[in-house]
Amino acid sequence: MADTNRTQMANRATALLAGPFLLGRRALSALFPPEDEAPPEQPRKDLGRGITVTPPEHAIKRRG
Amino acid sequence: MKTRLPEHGPLETPRFWRTLDERLETPEAQRAAQDEFLPGAVPTIYDDVHGLPPQDGFSRRDFFGLVGAAAAVAATVACDRKGQGKVVPYTRRPVEVVPGVANYYASAYQEGRRVYPVLVKTREGRPILVSGNDEHPGVKGKTSPRAMADVLRLYDPDRLRAPKSGGRIIGWPEAEAQLHGALKGAREAGKPVLLITGAQASPSQKALLSGLKAVLPTLEHLAYEPASGDAAEEAARACFGQAVEVQPRLTKAKVILSLGADFLNGEDPEALAAWGAKRRLKDAQETINRLWVIEGPLTLTGTNADVRVPVAPSRLGPVAFALAKGLAGLGVPLPAGTDLSAIPAGMPPELKEATKDAGKVWSSLLKDLHHAGRNAVVLCGPQMPAEVHQAAHLLNAMLASEAVAVLAAEPLATVKELEAAAKGMAEGRYAAVVFWGVNPAYTYPRAAAWKEAVAKVAFRAWIGQVEDETSAQCQLLLPENHWLESWGDFTTASAAVLQQPTIGTLYDTRQGEDLFLGAIKALGGQAPASYHAFIQGRWQTSLPSGTSFEQALHDGLVKGEAKGVAPAFRGASVSAAAKAAMQSKAQGLELVLFPGFATFDGRHANNSWLQETPDPITKMTWDNPLSLSVQDATALGIQEGDFVSLTLEGTTLRLPAILQPGQTKGVLALALGYGRSTGGVARNVGTNAFPLMGLDPARANHRMAASLAKAGGKKELSRTQSHHRMEGRDLVRSLTMEEFAHDPQGHHHAPELVTLYEEQTFPDHKWGMVIDLAACVGCSACVVACQSENNVPVVGPEQVARGREMHWIRIDRYYEGDLENPKVVHQPMLCQHCDNAPCENVCPVNATNHSNEGLNQMAYNRCVGTRYCANNCPYKVRRFNFLEYTSYKTEPETLAYNPEVTVRPRGVMEKCSFCVQRINDVKIRAKGDGRAILDGEVTTACMAGCPADAIVFGDLKDPKSKVSQLRSASRAYRVLEELGVKPAITYLADLKNPAVEGGTHAV
Amino acid sequence: MPSEAAIPAGAIPEGLLEPALTVGRVTPGSLDDQVLAFPETRPPWKWYLALCVTLTALAIGVGCIGYTFYTGIGAWGNNSPVFWAFDIINFVFWVGIGHAGTLISAILFLFRKRWRNAIARFAEAMTIFAVICAVIFPLIHVGRPWLAYWLFPYPNQRALWTNFRSPLLWDVFAVNTYFSVSAMFWYLGLIPDIASMRDRTTSKLRKPIYTVLALGWRGAATHWQHYEKAYLLLAGLATGLVLSVHSVVSFDFATSVVPGWHMTIFPPYFVAGAIFAGFAMVVMVLVVVRETMELKNLITMRHLDVMNKVILAMSCIMGYSYMMEGFTAWYSMNEYLHHGFMNIISGTYGWAGWLTISCNILIPQILWFKKARASYFWMIFVAIGVTLGMWFERFVIIVISLHQDYLPSAWRIYRPTLIDFGILLGTFGIFFTLVLLFARVLPVIATTEVKAILPDSQPSHHGDDHHV
Repeated sequence: MADTNRTQMANRATALLAGPFLLGRRALSALFPPEDEAPPEQPRKDLGRGITVTPPEHAIKRRG
Repeated sequence: MKTRLPEHGPLETPRFWRTLDERLETPEAQRAAQDEFLPGAVPTIYDDVHGLPPQDGFSRRDFFGLVGAAAAVAATVACDRKGQGKVVPYTRRPVEVVPGVANYYASAYQEGRRVYPVLVKTREGRPILVSGNDEHPGVKGKTSPRAMADVLRLYDPDRLRAPKSGGRIIGWPEAEAQLHGALKGAREAGKPVLLITGAQASPSQKALLSGLKAVLPTLEHLAYEPASGDAAEEAARACFGQAVEVQPRLTKAKVILSLGADFLNGEDPEALAAWGAKRRLKDAQETINRLWVIEGPLTLTGTNADVRVPVAPSRLGPVAFALAKGLAGLGVPLPAGTDLSAIPAGMPPELKEATKDAGKVWSSLLKDLHHAGRNAVVLCGPQMPAEVHQAAHLLNAMLASEAVAVLAAEPLATVKELEAAAKGMAEGRYAAVVFWGVNPAYTYPRAAAWKEAVAKVAFRAWIGQVEDETSAQCQLLLPENHWLESWGDFTTASAAVLQQPTIGTLYDTRQGEDLFLGAIKALGGQAPASYHAFIQGRWQTSLPSGTSFEQALHDGLVKGEAKGVAPAFRGASVSAAAKAAMQSKAQGLELVLFPGFATFDGRHANNSWLQETPDPITKMTWDNPLSLSVQDATALGIQEGDFVSLTLEGTTLRLPAILQPGQTKGVLALALGYGRSTGGVARNVGTNAFPLMGLDPARANHRMAASLAKAGGKKELSRTQSHHRMEGRDLVRSLTMEEFAHDPQGHHHAPELVTLYEEQTFPDHKWGMVIDLAACVGCSACVVACQSENNVPVVGPEQVARGREMHWIRIDRYYEGDLENPKVVHQPMLCQHCDNAPCENVCPVNATNHSNEGLNQMAYNRCVGTRYCANNCPYKVRRFNFLEYTSYKTEPETLAYNPEVTVRPRGVMEKCSFCVQRINDVKIRAKGDGRAILDGEVTTACMAGCPADAIVFGDLKDPKSKVSQLRSASRAYRVLEELGVKPAITYLADLKNPAVEGGTHAV
Repeated sequence: MPSEAAIPAGAIPEGLLEPALTVGRVTPGSLDDQVLAFPETRPPWKWYLALCVTLTALAIGVGCIGYTFYTGIGAWGNNSPVFWAFDIINFVFWVGIGHAGTLISAILFLFRKRWRNAIARFAEAMTIFAVICAVIFPLIHVGRPWLAYWLFPYPNQRALWTNFRSPLLWDVFAVNTYFSVSAMFWYLGLIPDIASMRDRTTSKLRKPIYTVLALGWRGAATHWQHYEKAYLLLAGLATGLVLSVHSVVSFDFATSVVPGWHMTIFPPYFVAGAIFAGFAMVVMVLVVVRETMELKNLITMRHLDVMNKVILAMSCIMGYSYMMEGFTAWYSMNEYLHHGFMNIISGTYGWAGWLTISCNILIPQILWFKKARASYFWMIFVAIGVTLGMWFERFVIIVISLHQDYLPSAWRIYRPTLIDFGILLGTFGIFFTLVLLFARVLPVIATTEVKAILPDSQPSHHGDDHHV
């Protein structure tokens, strides 16, 4: 009996919690289109802000 | 979940029975024995498992289950923290870069004429730590605080990131076209081009500029170092007929006389290494040197003197020449042509004012110098007037000192030449002016006149890193690489040194030399494609056989004494100086302008690490107050922090004053390099003292007839130490050589420490440290090294004023004795890693605890910030993040972080960790090699940074380790040992070798 | 007391008879009318004015705490080496204020001091409010207040546990226990009175609230029996806590190595100081209450006289403690301790030391005079002095000891910021807001207990009545 109750309750609770969450997320993403969800082929717009670290050319390291 | 009791197998006859029915094993009884609830106890309609009423909806268990699930879901949803960034692996890993493994490159750094061969540690391609090049025979792995801190300048957010013309960002082709056009125009018009650079220590750069001169004959080059001391340059020209560099060789010195020379201020790692070697004595039988200091302001060298005599700089000349005359009287021959007839024989009267038993002091000084002979050396501070330099040259020549090397050097432009250049510019003589790594609009004493003159030049170009006062006047701004992005080479006395980039350029910048190579090509000359190729080409022709350029780059140097004829001393040159010295009269207050410990000539003013490193003497940060003697302050009614107005030749500065014990009466001292008007960090920090510099190169840094008055108001000084006396406590022990020989522990008895508890055991290692106070001069290199290694945040002047600086290691400086000429001691103070640490037991959350290797360790993540540990620390070495100092930092500043050390947020306590990341690094490597850790293999950042080798770190479990042996030395003691905290740091008592009483004769 | 009971009442000389505990004619009915009807009346405008003032102070405090949360502890004047300052001063100060209530309600109850009946309720309420003010500080003074719950040893999957060697952890337990026991004790005593109010009120709003709070009290004999047992037991429990809480708070200091903190005299000295400060606060508030709420017949001059005597006694204990501090500093020949003591009387903060000594030792001596004990002016003067003095005593202990400890290089002057003062003001706002609200909604006098000591009452559990 408790098992059946639990299943029902779990379903109800999931719907209760997840429903608004998913709906809210969809609503938010409609309002603010996500930038970093863009497909990986397209470079991110804000990449230019970051500083690219490159290794030195022709330098010889001592150890590492 | 529904559960049932397990089905029993066939029942055996019960051994124990409750009822007769049970014994007889009636079916009812059997069921009753199995059932938890006897028939009748639970109504049959009830749940047969829980014995609860039938439920239609919601059980207690369900309720709790649901609550738990809801909490878990809520927590999961809430866990999405914003702005955490993403960790992405390299898609194409750069060759040489292995994540998590540090690379080391040998390179070199130049500051003024001085060259520092360095080793640069990079992580994931980012240079994060600078230390000395261990292969270099001179510096032996040590370097200066400013060199170490200069890695931060690479990541200065204020750096110019692309060329600019007329305030507009342009591309390099356009920028180069403008530069080349201007130079070509000047050549065609036959008008001179003025190039002002810093000191030339690089042979390749010199060759490059002569190449430029070949294609641009109208080029006029001035090498300008505003803080290097024009008087020294003047004196060298007079005494040797050419520019020289005076390099002390203190390993050979038994007696050192400093005439205002601050050679122990951290700038010269070779001098500090030699000093340390002569002072780290095992027993009193070892020979010690003796340092005599005669100076006006109190310098770091003065604080380490065995005998210090306060004499105003204007009177140093007569004293020094009197010494020469005295030595001559003792039979030391004067150089040919030297005429000291202007100098009265005997002890100069200045000494009588300065010290009580002047006669004894004078005679022992003369005797010391005379006896030491070739092993005596006289050093003169660059800020002293030219005649003092000449006297020092004379004395060294008379003693034929081996402890100093006078090397020919590239000449520097003095203020006189700058004045001439300014006149030329004002007259419209120059077609173009190029500033390369210099900032005369700030450093030239008459800045307004200078700017007016520069404005008259048609084409003004600037090559540099951060826009400054000079760039503000230039049309064309050419952003230059940081030295860690550049190529170069230098000559040092014991090796030729190479500079190589340790990182690709961060921004669209170029090396200055590359720009001139381009100019040579544009002007029709021959030049290789890049400065790298230029250097490689030059080196390959001059490398000794068996050495490849790659090997030289790997080592960072090629050993070999620099060739060249030592310039000869001209004896006749000093006669005029001697006369001048005798005629100079003190008038009013005299002012000494010296390069700032942190800022030098202002080039480091935008470096927050250096700005926050306390001045070794005054313990000031973020400011350059005027130091005045206690006597003058009393006479003028000035108190610490009072604003004063300092007037000199019509220039008046309003700045705070501090009282400096030990400073000679009538002498003022002020640091240069502050009061910049540009730079995010540098702007409005301190007061610009360059306007007070003189236009007479013979005494540019030493000015007379200054006047001082109270200006009203008081400034809260950003000082890291506000109490300067030891209050008679046994904190810093100092022994004379006599005491060292007879009774090193003196009246101090090791306290009897009784405990009820079991001794702690350390199964594998027990890390410990020994700090030799006799070798430590207080130069603060350890402070900067620690800051760089451990991501120690900078808090700013307001927070320092409120006692919230974050340095994990501080140098305590105490004055003892009279205010006029106190004895000064320095003591590095850091977490003592006590075995009975008072901080550990009071932390309610166990955030600080003891490792089984004797480390007192902090779990930053666990710390909630009750600050109880810091209250209970008798050494007050714990540092609390009162505010958020780190999380707002962005690139490029964050690139300077050491990835192996956690960056601490606000509200968290932190402190010295004994560089646990370095210990673990060595442990991992030793384990990988399947061997034990070697003694000396683990170095803390402070130990590695200490040029005097005053700090020794190691394993106390190993009785043969250096640290174990030093721990039982006769000079050893522990600070506050009587508290029973069992510190892991042992101090070795300071040693003084006074001349009059208690010293051993050095010779 | 059988021996006393054996003597006929008439044999006791008049002078030895305990004076009446109430003034004028007080009957159980008039008492109910006077005390229980009070919350039903409309508050005067003065009450609203007072509430406005205290709420403003409270709002300032909340604002300052919010600012501290936003910027960090750096908003305060705390520095190195004075890592604790106003935060812990205020904590110890408020915990101390709380001590009088429990002492009056529990210890004096066990000693059958019947005069405590009339003032116990108010004093207890002040205890609870003071402890509420106190517990704010441990929560807000940590660097990362959102993690303050880590101070509780709760099982967690990170397998982290608290350090039971830390006096701060003892504090957590001591203060929590103290607060919960005090609150229970107070609430238990309130139940019969709330039940009476439930029965009297005609307000539709109050009725259900009092009904719930009265927990179904009907005044049955079994109720009384259980009630009195529970009251006695809680009194016994609270008695231990009066001594333990401030002893444990003093361990924060006494178990450390800081010179000026590391002293064995601290536990009794702190307890005495706490009772001292608490009584002063109770006297101050009671004078106001008795004047404004017309309770002169129940809170009599005799109450004030007795409490002033306690203040005087405690002042003498404090004087002894101060002298012992000086003696220890001298006799121990410990240079650090000696320096610390000299700082109290002659250092930068010497004024605070002398203020403490004057307010706590010198000024209360006026209470040797009966006239002073009966004078509002003098008793308020002394009470304000003691409150100020005890705050500064904690300042002396915490700030003076910390600002100059072992290494002179680390010494530094401490200066509080406006935020520090704002939070201090805020706690006074919280305290007096709660006092004002309490005075309007709950019976400020335990009528059931006072009924037991009315001159014509039957001998009761609260002690024998000598009046015939």
